[in-house]
Amino acid sequence: MTLLASTHPFWPLFLHVLGTMTLFGAVLAALVTAAAGLRRAAFASLLVALPAWVVALGAGHWLEHDEGLSGASPTWLQLGRNVLEPGVLVLLLALAAAWWWRSSGKQAAGRATAALAGIYLVLLTVAMLAMSGKWS
Amino acid sequence: MSTAQWLLMFHVASAFCFVGGSVTAAILNGLALRAERPSEVAALLRLIRRVLPVIFVGVAGTLVFGIWLWHEQGYAIGAAWIWVSLVLWVVANALGGRGGRLQEQARVLAERLAGEGDTPSAELSAALRERTGLWLSYGAGVATLAILVLMIWKPGS
Repeated sequence: MTLLASTHPFWPLFLHVLGTMTLFGAVLAALVTAAAGLRRAAFASLLVALPAWVVALGAGHWLEHDEGLSGASPTWLQLGRNVLEPGVLVLLLALAAAWWWRSSGKQAAGRATAALAGIYLVLLTVAMLAMSGKWS
Repeated sequence: MSTAQWLLMFHVASAFCFVGGSVTAAILNGLALRAERPSEVAALLRLIRRVLPVIFVGVAGTLVFGIWLWHEQGYAIGAAWIWVSLVLWVVANALGGRGGRLQEQARVLAERLAGEGDTPSAELSAALRERTGLWLSYGAGVATLAILVLMIWKPGS
């Protein structure tokens, strides 16, 4: 642990990557369960996505601070910030739609859950490609 | 973008498919453990099969782009963290594959019970909670997590 802590910023990068990978997996689970018409499973999957989003965001800010990127705005960083920060509205809307679907059973709510989960998955994929490829 | 940046982008994208797909499978499996009716269990376990192509793309991509990056970035041929990661990659896939086969047996049972009245079954519950299968899945998860630690830490490089 001490060795890990004394090298380059291991913990914020590890937690950021782990958080975003878990977020990606939970949103994918929400998409496939919503597309299959499993409303309780879609809602539960989106509930898993929330703590993963918190870890990804918190560790992202920690990493920005440690790497001295707080004031910087290259394309890859800006894209990542936009998907994690204002982009969370899409995730929250998906969660609200899933809750509505679970309590009402309305098909429209199910379609909205699947569509919003799909949109957020695409946004996460674009941000992941931009950040790993350091798009300028 | 340089060749190394392209390779890193595809390597990371593959890792997202590998780990993200595994998280999806774990969530679906966890939900199946909590489901009551065999038809619900069968539906959730069937979805894991739909996610498998994502995991397979990730498994293949992490290896291909990882080895290419190893050459491109000029890491030493004897870099221990890379060799240990390769061993863990084999272990994770072997454990995950074996655990998946046991899970498939539970799905077949759930499908059968769903067609025979769809009432909660102690036999299905026991099949889903079978210790060997659960430990194989946990082992695959721990090995995957250890690969992620090594890839970010890169000890000795």
